[in-house]
Amino acid sequence: MSNEEGKALRYSIYFSTILIIVTALTLQLIRIQILNSGKFKIKANENSVKALPVAAPRGVIFDRNFNLLVGNKPSYNLVVIPAYFDTSSFTRFGKLLEFSKETKLEIVRAKRKYSKFKPIIVRRDIPFDVVSGVNEYGDELTGVKVEFVPKRDYAYGVNGAHIFGYLQEITADELKNTKGEYVGGDEIGASGIEKYYEKYLRGKKGKKLVVVNSRQQYIRDFRNGAMDVPPEKGDDIVLSIDKKTQIAAENALKGKKGAIVAIDPKTGEIIAMASAPTFSLSKLSVASPSEWRAIVFNKDKPLFNRATMSAYPPGSTIKPLEALAGLSAKSVTPRTTIICKGGLQYGDRFFGCDHVHGKVNMVKSIEESCNTYYYLLFLKMGFAPWLDFTRRFGFGRKTHIDIYEEKKGLLPDSAYYNKRYGRHRWNKGLLLSLSIGQGEVSVTPLQLAKYTALLASGGKTVVPHLAKGFIDNKTNAFHPFSFDSVKINLNKNDLAIVKKGMFEVVNGEGTATNIKDAYIPIAGKTGTAQNPHGENHAIFIAYAPADNPKIAVAVVIENAGYGSTHAAPVAHKIIRTYLRNMLHKKARRVK
Amino acid sequence: MKIKYKVSDRFDYWLFGSMLALIIIGLVAIFSATENMASTNYFKQLTFAAVSLLFFFVIYFIRAQYFKLLSIPIYIITLLALVFVLLSGHTVYGARSWLSFGPIGFQPSEIGKIGTIFMLAYWLSQSNVKLDNLRDLAIALFFGLFPVLLILAEPDMGTAIVYVVILLSVLFWAGIDLFGLFVILSPAVIVFLSFFGTVAALVGFLALVVLLFLFKKDLFLSLTIFIINLASIFLFDLGVKLLKPHQQKRIMTFLNPLSDPYGSGYNAIQAQTAVGSGGILGKGFLHGSQTQLRFIPEQWTDFIFSVIGEEFGFIGSFIVILLFSILFFRLLRIALKQKDSFAGLVTIGFLTTLLVHFFINIGMNIGLAPVIGIPLPFMSYGGTALIVNVSMIAIVMSFYRDKKEHT
Repeated sequence: MSNEEGKALRYSIYFSTILIIVTALTLQLIRIQILNSGKFKIKANENSVKALPVAAPRGVIFDRNFNLLVGNKPSYNLVVIPAYFDTSSFTRFGKLLEFSKETKLEIVRAKRKYSKFKPIIVRRDIPFDVVSGVNEYGDELTGVKVEFVPKRDYAYGVNGAHIFGYLQEITADELKNTKGEYVGGDEIGASGIEKYYEKYLRGKKGKKLVVVNSRQQYIRDFRNGAMDVPPEKGDDIVLSIDKKTQIAAENALKGKKGAIVAIDPKTGEIIAMASAPTFSLSKLSVASPSEWRAIVFNKDKPLFNRATMSAYPPGSTIKPLEALAGLSAKSVTPRTTIICKGGLQYGDRFFGCDHVHGKVNMVKSIEESCNTYYYLLFLKMGFAPWLDFTRRFGFGRKTHIDIYEEKKGLLPDSAYYNKRYGRHRWNKGLLLSLSIGQGEVSVTPLQLAKYTALLASGGKTVVPHLAKGFIDNKTNAFHPFSFDSVKINLNKNDLAIVKKGMFEVVNGEGTATNIKDAYIPIAGKTGTAQNPHGENHAIFIAYAPADNPKIAVAVVIENAGYGSTHAAPVAHKIIRTYLRNMLHKKARRVK
Repeated sequence: MKIKYKVSDRFDYWLFGSMLALIIIGLVAIFSATENMASTNYFKQLTFAAVSLLFFFVIYFIRAQYFKLLSIPIYIITLLALVFVLLSGHTVYGARSWLSFGPIGFQPSEIGKIGTIFMLAYWLSQSNVKLDNLRDLAIALFFGLFPVLLILAEPDMGTAIVYVVILLSVLFWAGIDLFGLFVILSPAVIVFLSFFGTVAALVGFLALVVLLFLFKKDLFLSLTIFIINLASIFLFDLGVKLLKPHQQKRIMTFLNPLSDPYGSGYNAIQAQTAVGSGGILGKGFLHGSQTQLRFIPEQWTDFIFSVIGEEFGFIGSFIVILLFSILFFRLLRIALKQKDSFAGLVTIGFLTTLLVHFFINIGMNIGLAPVIGIPLPFMSYGGTALIVNVSMIAIVMSFYRDKKEHT
């Protein structure tokens, strides 16, 4: 059959085709792997092109007026390639290299690994005499290199350690989670703005192609750098921080413990944020492991951002909020008066007041910070309105500021008390200290500032934030970031009464008349947080100008005593610095 | 009475064993190529391998005669997927060739090989279809070339070439005569020659005229073929002009890889150096300097063979070639023994697919073939290709299983 014959022929043709292909590949393999293998071995050993990453400068950080706050400067790292490093250099060049015990151990260990050709950064930001020393002994000091890297420059007058945050060598976990965007040894934002806006700031690494031999020794540039890819600088971040106000805040806290947060009440932009004690970012960037430990384990916790992470009882600063709750619950009217005899006996406990205030209405209760008024108000309205209003103003919840270091404080509710004391084992008496902002309730300075901003703006603000936007490195165009708005319902008339009280605190016969300003009308409220471990914390919240608020401030000074004497003058200084332009205008009559 | 068969009558151990060995060697090479990298490719490929074996046993137990019934629907799905990928696919390495459904992505052009081969085999195995009938041949060409046009538009030259070779091999197995082959190939040869200038094109036409005389067909048919050849040059030229400049450039680079010595050509040089420096015994697992120092970018895809060559030397490379040879000869034998012409044609189509990939891929790793970015079957990293290749073997094994029932 011709069909069957044809099939047999086609089978033979196809069979031969496979045989020819397989033979051709085998012969070529014999040619390159057996006959010419030596040539390829030499080529593999001696002539290969390697792409070296070139670090990109990070984006810089500006304040709200485009003043530079964090920049970049050149610096040099000392790099060791373990495979090529002669351990006798430890002693021969001991003075020049100044290697720590840990570094020496790391190099000796790495010499035994397959990755011994991979450079290790052993010292960052070395001084110039070391750079020139290494270059001078270049031939004898094998396996040691100096590598140029851009480095952060903080020398612009603002410390801002807790705002900007620090950079750290990327951890193994982060390396795993970022999927090839980084390599070991890269620096990455580890806190603050540097961490939150890492993807804007980090830029894009460049590539330098070099010809190296199998020991990864540099032979020459590949094609004179024609194929190199230059690094791209990261995008710049523009903060809402006002440089002068920030410096004033940092100076005001020098030698103290505490925190300051100043916010633009309408926009939620943070004008200044300081926490003390603090640390120096430039010193931290070159700290040795032991210096690092000294900072981390310091008992004053300088790394800890008190402005967003430390929670204090709000003390009497809670009173404006509580007055609004009372009015809203119709438990009081603005004209309701009580008689303060210096405190209140409730059950077997006496709840004290600082003075015998006599006849007290709502305005006076805020102005003179009468505790008795609030004990009675709380007993009348109960726990629920208090809880409702503290929640409305954002207590016990994170503000979701644009840094990751934030705590939510504590807002005790019924569930909390049931858990702590047992169901029905607690009563109003137990809660009475909440009415003057003491007891279990605690808030962060940032939450206090947001609360003040809400009072100042009539219940409309934006999530507090540090960054206004970024400048695209390629187009130089400014792109604003957007943040959620925060809105709470407040009765206008109720708010007017409370604000009148807060105005009188400073400008009437209140608790902070010491900061009455001839040019800027300030409204505020003093507070003192009881501290069982020592001296009380002084607190002051304020906003100004009282008729058209442009700044809301919260100040907490730890272990200082009364809010009026220790915290209010600090807030006053911050307000005067931020509203400095108003000072030069014609004096306004402050009633 | 039910006839008892030995297991080896229904399950081709050689075919299955060599496939499994190649998959395992591929995993070893991928592990080496991605070691110390923040990459999960090895574990992904391990998962793909498990999934593909699952596919294998599901397909193996499908009765052979059902495949023929599925030909038309699978082909239509293939064409729809290829059109869809042009409209909304992802671009990877310059070609719009990926479709994704949530986290799962795949390349329709890989799956389309099965669809196209099924359709061609279905058409050519019809009892009334004769290849010396120009109309029947034209219909076969249409079935084979329509997907090629869609793949060229992605553009993915490498895969398009594989499709064309598959088409030719299936026609060959179906018994096309020399004149039919000449009719099909002459326009392609003429277009190819036209790249090398007017003189080369004229020489091509001269050869065409001489051959037409030698075939001694009637004047009308000869003239028609001549005009088709002439038209193909102008049509191709027009087609190129319709492409965007970067697509034109990619076609030129494909035809002349040396024009891009620091791109794809550079990788090929590094791969050849890796293989050559492996010597007879190789540098040892995880000890190849070219591989471990990552001189070859994305080595786990198209250049996976260079890992074997460098770390396991000639011995390792030859074992891979031997395993592929076993696979190919078994496939060819199964194609020969098939009584059912559909099954025979499908087997040849699959064999050609694997053979072309095998030759071009290893060839470009060792400096014997131009750099055409197509993966090495069973070994290169990639889920779609692995599952499709294993499925092809499973389909052939299913034919093998049921062969006795046809006799």
